[in-house]
Amino acid sequence: MLAIGENVLHRAPMAFIRELARRKKSKLSLVKTAGAHDIDLLYAVGAVKTVTAGFVSYETVYGLPKHYRKAVESGEVKTNEHACYTVISALRGAQANVPFMPVQGMQYGDLIKYNDYFVVVEDPFTKEPVTLVQSIFPDVAIIHVQECDEQGNAIIYGPKFEDVLMSRAAKRIIITTEQIVPRYKTKQNNERIDIPGFLVEAVVHVPKGALPTSCYKKYELDDKALRTFIGLKEKAEINQFISSYDLQDYSGQGRKRSW
Amino acid sequence: MVKSYKISDLMTCTIADLLMDGETVFHGVSSHLPMVAMQLAKHMHAPNLVHLNIPGGVNPTTIKNASYSSAGADLVGAAEAYFPLEEIFDLSMRGKLDTAFLSGVQFDINGNVNASVIGDYHKPKVRLPGGAGSAVLIPTAKKVIIWRTKHDPRTFVNEVDFVTTRGNIWKIITPLCVFVYKNGKLHLESIHPHTTLEEVEKQTGFPLLYDELTYTNEPSIQQLQKLKEIDPKDYRSLEFLS
Repeated sequence: MLAIGENVLHRAPMAFIRELARRKKSKLSLVKTAGAHDIDLLYAVGAVKTVTAGFVSYETVYGLPKHYRKAVESGEVKTNEHACYTVISALRGAQANVPFMPVQGMQYGDLIKYNDYFVVVEDPFTKEPVTLVQSIFPDVAIIHVQECDEQGNAIIYGPKFEDVLMSRAAKRIIITTEQIVPRYKTKQNNERIDIPGFLVEAVVHVPKGALPTSCYKKYELDDKALRTFIGLKEKAEINQFISSYDLQDYSGQGRKRSW
Repeated sequence: MVKSYKISDLMTCTIADLLMDGETVFHGVSSHLPMVAMQLAKHMHAPNLVHLNIPGGVNPTTIKNASYSSAGADLVGAAEAYFPLEEIFDLSMRGKLDTAFLSGVQFDINGNVNASVIGDYHKPKVRLPGGAGSAVLIPTAKKVIIWRTKHDPRTFVNEVDFVTTRGNIWKIITPLCVFVYKNGKLHLESIHPHTTLEEVEKQTGFPLLYDELTYTNEPSIQQLQKLKEIDPKDYRSLEFLS
């Protein structure tokens, strides 16, 4: 079970996602509140068994995630549909190492009837019905950040989305980073550190590692690349698209640290 | 003076008029039109409206950089404080989110919302993106405003294929009309000036209920001028273009 940080079109750990595709990983279980290119790409190469998410789609101007839809509609793979908040609650459960979390609101729809990770029980205190969501314990969380030191002390600029929570919920944390900064610098900024290094197993230096999604203060979304990918149909074309990032994805290799 | 405006302008102004000063209001991804409406309300009659969004930027001073995404870091860069998504959900759970903007793909007369699948749930004909926050926000926010830029019998159906959620829907704004949800049913509240009751009837998959029917107010000159200023690149029309 792999938790993927960031949100929709922003700061997705794409270099790592492409590496999963290069290494032909398969039967992955993914968890994310709201995903787009990352999930669509892994579906395009047939790497996914299930996805647990509240929302899987590009935003308005880029339309719908074709590869994901095709796979789900063919019945090959399963979507564990959540509300974004129930993903958050399930990760909060993992963070506190409890088996489930109570959530409000779900009793009005059919999601709880069709999915066994939601159950309604009697609140032992008030005897009222309460909906529970089963906790999600990711094996690994992969999070792309702007700055990190060699020990894994990581700073996220701009929106953090659910990254901090994922870093507490997952058993192992891998950070990919735009920049490896010296330790004295993160120490000067110690109150700004979002993910302390002692939680982190590996740090990988990957400049431009979120492209074609955006990375705040570093670069904007690559409109042309994203549109190219969305237009692709054949496996060979998709592999070629991934290969076009080879040089860039390995450009930080010289400074790869702890794995 | 003859006013010239687009359907997206009318929808944006109609939504802005529904927002009140001092309210906490949230919009999600793919939500440019309500985002512009919130900014318009803030610049007109609701200066103390609290604008909340997924990246967590409280009251961004501008939305002009939100070109392809209504969930980008630009909304945090221009914000007065940081209040991220998970805390917005918690706020709604505590009953302190006044208004949430959400959408879906199918709606029925009973106020059911489908954002999940067309066809069978486990073997869908079409897998939709999912409701994102809808399944918890539509029941817990005090008021929910739905906007949808399509109004046809496939969108407003007799019965949704799947009930992703239902709950505190207040109004639904479409390119043709405004529905209000009361006594467990969607009622037609007003039709837009450019359409007719016959057209709304033809494009709606369930029988129309209404008591007193009016035309939706046209945007005012002041609103249209303000829209040019706060949304010069016309993000409010994005959904009509794609």
